[in-house]
Amino acid sequence: MRALIVGLILLVSTRLAYAYPQFQLSHDATCTGCHISPDGGVLLDENGLGVAESESWQGHDAAFLYGLLGTPDWLQLGGELRGAAGLTYPRALDSAVYPMQGEVEGRAKAGAFSIYANAGFRRPNVNQSVAHVIWSREHYVMWQQKPGENEGLYVRAGRFMPTFGLRLAEHIVYTQKYGGRPLYYEAYGVGVSYVTDKAEVHATGFASDRIASAAEHGDGGALYGEMRIGTNAAVGIEGKYSKADDDTRTYAGVTGKLFLPAAELLLLGEAQLVRQEITAGAGDTRNALVAYVMASRPLPSNLLLDIGLGHYTQDTRVKGLLRDCIDANLHWFFDSHIELLLTTRLERLNFGQSGGGYALAQLHVRL
Amino acid sequence: MSTRWLFAAVLLAAACGTTPDERPKTFEAVTFEVLAPHCGQVQCHSTFTATDGKEFDTLEGARAALQDLGVHSNPDMRGSTGELVLLLEGAPGYERMPPDVPLAQEDRELLLSWIVDENAAGL
Repeated sequence: MRALIVGLILLVSTRLAYAYPQFQLSHDATCTGCHISPDGGVLLDENGLGVAESESWQGHDAAFLYGLLGTPDWLQLGGELRGAAGLTYPRALDSAVYPMQGEVEGRAKAGAFSIYANAGFRRPNVNQSVAHVIWSREHYVMWQQKPGENEGLYVRAGRFMPTFGLRLAEHIVYTQKYGGRPLYYEAYGVGVSYVTDKAEVHATGFASDRIASAAEHGDGGALYGEMRIGTNAAVGIEGKYSKADDDTRTYAGVTGKLFLPAAELLLLGEAQLVRQEITAGAGDTRNALVAYVMASRPLPSNLLLDIGLGHYTQDTRVKGLLRDCIDANLHWFFDSHIELLLTTRLERLNFGQSGGGYALAQLHVRL
Repeated sequence: MSTRWLFAAVLLAAACGTTPDERPKTFEAVTFEVLAPHCGQVQCHSTFTATDGKEFDTLEGARAALQDLGVHSNPDMRGSTGELVLLLEGAPGYERMPPDVPLAQEDRELLLSWIVDENAAGL
């Protein structure tokens, strides 16, 4: 029972169908090189399907359901299933088994316009109705200046994640968990993206979802800009503002990416300053710092190894109120639809005051 | 980005802060600065998920959750911590919370000081 409770609570390892920035620069300059969305994630385009096939051990047809269910050109279908099992280390080693993601998705296009929507399950919420478990995390209408190409202007309106930061798949990455892009922070908004091989900029104005018990309580905007330096490096800046009833959060940060071809090594980094102003009661203002660096390298047999270091200073006024982590993730791309992932973390408070960790095996099936 | 610069930033961040803890001992501060970041994460005790029916990511939710745990003020001006301490410490019969990494000592002290010394003002 204890394992079940811990497992359910530790749904923390949920990963969603976001992009693999580990492939940027080493494969294509932009997320749109492989994805339909201007900021990556979810459905793959033709090139992305080719990469999924070529980067996996067994290959196989990367299309929806291995190509068994053909769809017309204007319609694209997909989906994501994920689950995990392993050991957590809260005080002593404990086991955990849990579902993580079950979603289907579709996109229909007509000329420069397209409609995207996903639907799936989320955990029951005892404070909500039974219908809470079924939801659509993202659904939007998009206009693309150059349909069929991977650059130009994109405009989206609907429910989606404001573009911000490195956008790694693992939401427990510190810069996402404690920074400006936590899990399920999709909101209704309008986003404008301009993407080229040399640079890209994404601006989103958003309002919290007042209907679907959203995680994001605030209204505001997000901005992310990235400039490529040559073909092997990129730097980015980011900002986000979110005003809720009782607090206001402002995020400002930088990102960096460097690909070392000789070593086949991609280095990723992000640092953010987070300012939270409590406007209720007597009020208060907290400044936090959060950073994450990752080294990613392909290994023989279609493996991919990520080593990450995270740091979080929760409040710069309080000495010692900080935590650090080291992550090691080993991906194995069995075929173009199936990924096995061993993900581990060791986390310590204030350089060893106390901490925890986990080692989990994940199965990810892309439909 | 240079790893060297990031490492320097981490060391700088580690050197930040003052002693003693100057954070205000108010309901709003302990909710948004302690409970929400660590207990009210979206997949745990949030408005979105509400594990065990408890929400710590809003003032309204935190007020209800703390009261449900037995936290309350007293006429003698020393608040009662209810089951909160038992959960934070993982006392026998209680699953320690948070289950992944415990609250930092500084956060536990702020929380308990607000309850006991400030008589859970604002709850």
